[in-house]
Amino acid sequence: MSIVLETRKLTKQFGGLTAVNSVDLAVPEKSIFSVIGPNGAGKTTFYNCITGFYSPDAGEIIFDGKSLLGLTPDKITYRGIARTYQNIRLFSNMTAIENIMVGFHSQMHSNLAEAILHTPRLKREEKEALEEGRRLLQFVGLSGLGDHLARNLPYGAQRRLEVARALASNPKLLLLDEPTAGMNPHESSDMMHFIRQLRDELGITILMIEHDMRVVMGVSEQIAVLDYGSKIAEGTPLEIQGNPMVIEAYLGRGAASGLQNIAEKSV
Amino acid sequence: MKAYLKNAATAGIIFGIITTFLFLINFIGTAADLIGDITKSRPGSSILGLSAVMFNQLIFLGLIGIWAGARGSRKDSRLEDTWKHVLIGGALAGAVHGLIAGSLAFLVGSLNTAGVKINEYLSQILPEVIRIFLLNKTPLQGALFYLVFMTLMGMLGGLFGRGVLRSTWRKNIGARRKELWNSLTHHEKVLKIRANPLTRYVVYGLLLLFVFLMPLQIGQYWNYTVGTIGIYVLLGLGLNIVVGMAGLLDLGYVAFFAIGAYSVALLTAPTPHNLQWSFWLVLPIGIILASLTGILLGIPVLRMRGDYLAIVTLGFGEIIRILSKSVLLTPFSGGPKGVFNVGAPTLFGKPFNSDVNFVWLITLGCLLVIFVTNRLQNSRVGRAWEAMREDETVAQAMGINTLTHKLMAFAIGAAFAGLGGILFASRNQFTGPEDHSLMVSINVLSLVIVGGMGSIPGVIAGAFVLKGLPEILRQLENYRVLFFGVLLVVMMVIRPEGLIPGSRQKLELQHTDKSQAPPDTADASEGSSPS
Repeated sequence: MSIVLETRKLTKQFGGLTAVNSVDLAVPEKSIFSVIGPNGAGKTTFYNCITGFYSPDAGEIIFDGKSLLGLTPDKITYRGIARTYQNIRLFSNMTAIENIMVGFHSQMHSNLAEAILHTPRLKREEKEALEEGRRLLQFVGLSGLGDHLARNLPYGAQRRLEVARALASNPKLLLLDEPTAGMNPHESSDMMHFIRQLRDELGITILMIEHDMRVVMGVSEQIAVLDYGSKIAEGTPLEIQGNPMVIEAYLGRGAASGLQNIAEKSV
Repeated sequence: MKAYLKNAATAGIIFGIITTFLFLINFIGTAADLIGDITKSRPGSSILGLSAVMFNQLIFLGLIGIWAGARGSRKDSRLEDTWKHVLIGGALAGAVHGLIAGSLAFLVGSLNTAGVKINEYLSQILPEVIRIFLLNKTPLQGALFYLVFMTLMGMLGGLFGRGVLRSTWRKNIGARRKELWNSLTHHEKVLKIRANPLTRYVVYGLLLLFVFLMPLQIGQYWNYTVGTIGIYVLLGLGLNIVVGMAGLLDLGYVAFFAIGAYSVALLTAPTPHNLQWSFWLVLPIGIILASLTGILLGIPVLRMRGDYLAIVTLGFGEIIRILSKSVLLTPFSGGPKGVFNVGAPTLFGKPFNSDVNFVWLITLGCLLVIFVTNRLQNSRVGRAWEAMREDETVAQAMGINTLTHKLMAFAIGAAFAGLGGILFASRNQFTGPEDHSLMVSINVLSLVIVGGMGSIPGVIAGAFVLKGLPEILRQLENYRVLFFGVLLVVMMVIRPEGLIPGSRQKLELQHTDKSQAPPDTADASEGSSPS
């Protein structure tokens, strides 16, 4: 299996604070890869480095065999990376389908002059985008809601719409930032199913930040754990669950052994 | 104190303050003149022993008094809306109102008799104004008159409020009106006519015919006014792209208007350069110059957002005006005096010398700009602008090059303003620094906000309200800024989205009825995944 995204010694500092500290990560193609860690571990900063919102202070980011360093976010989108946000960031005064059509921006080519002249190419392109948009709406289960303003959609639907908008840019790699935040167990089960569907049916590699351990353990194939900006562990869900460093990071020093004691007593 | 009495007293105080304020800026006198114009009463004539001016003034003050009474007698939630309460409430509100108005009359009247020249401090309050306000009586008599007058008017207002504003037959009037409207607009026959594509052409044709014929009928003054409104429509539509669609708050928009105006002025006028080029040649040059300036301004401010952008563009607008005025550039730009004898277009050898021709030309410009805006709005570029307005960071993450799209918005907006400037200077045959003051930017921004940001019909409506109404109410000229402020505040409170807010296209279900399967089957197949 080839590696689609690789970071080498990726570092990002804010003043004296090292938010991301020399992180090495290799995401295999068509895998579901999770990044977990306590609050403030640097997960979202890590995402922002990959998508070009921050420029890293040191290290390399290689996507599809080419470096992403120095590229602006829009260029990175053209390379095939799309993302969603921790707190939903839809274009709230535009309709659902318009949100998706903005997502198609990188797939379309018409310019100002063509828009004014309404050339046949533009008409064809617009029609295709609209049809694709309807298909995406159906794929994420929002058929019939396309003409509603994004801000009027229910929470779960907004999350799905955000994914649909990201999918519109035809990404190879999709970065999800806490896709089940604020969802009830039933909704997050749906989301888990949906994430698997994305990978299985569309062949998209998924990199995901998530706090809900049920989701992380249920859907990921590989997990990396960040704490204070550094990667402290990496492995399969089973390996991570038993890793004392991870338990310490989440619950504090000594917690791992304490938990072990409890486990032994209860057995 | 009972709540309804308190309510009445509060209303009285508020209206007392309003009346005092209106007196101090002498709006009362202006309103009396206006009423005189409407009723066509001769200034010299006398009615009920009062001169026409005084009588008209009392009509105006009476209306305020009635309003105060209607407000002051509003139903308390715990009390029945009985006639007795209404009369007491109205009377109290009126008495308080009258007390304040009377004290004012007594105060200014006494000062006037004591020989104090109030108009040295408040320029509008001439002795004549005070004499009219006091109805030719002594200060004390005037004060008592207002106390009684306002109390009566307050009671009348209370009855009016109970009998008309809050009467049972007005309940649910909004819902009933809507129902009536719906039954008219959604009637089978109406829908059939609306669905017919011919209807659109007929409506557009009639509109065009109206626009073509109207200038021939309305005379020079109104043609001039309509032309000005048209130019503001052009400016508004341009700013609508920059502010309404792309979300870039540009307060120096007048700069591009000035560039357009000066390019036509300097290239066609006999002084200061004596180039005298043809208008039709200068038209594209001016538009291109304006949009180039838009890009030039855009480059340094691209990374600024929101308030910072507003301040920088504000400065830019002023720089252009001050430069055009500067002594240093006088040999080039004509300096503070401006440029005279700006060339007019000629068509088939005939020069455009009447306002009718210019109304046609400006209307043509507006149609062109509406057409372009409409096409842009529903295109990849338009969507990118709107996405930037909503969330610039996310827009960039969607692959939108925010730098080039901002420049495009600036360039298109500036081009529209340049066109407006060219037509303005050419029609007036003059342009000078004072045509390009900050007030133009503010007017245009206000009309976009009042009309409805991002909406083409909204901008047109806004231009008519803000530029057309002051022309109709010419007496209000002195109070234009006040009028502006009040209008903006009122709009923001009762209709923050504007007169005609932009509506979103229905895209998803647009063609489904004809070309695709009916919705039922689409729902049934929802579970299956697309390929």
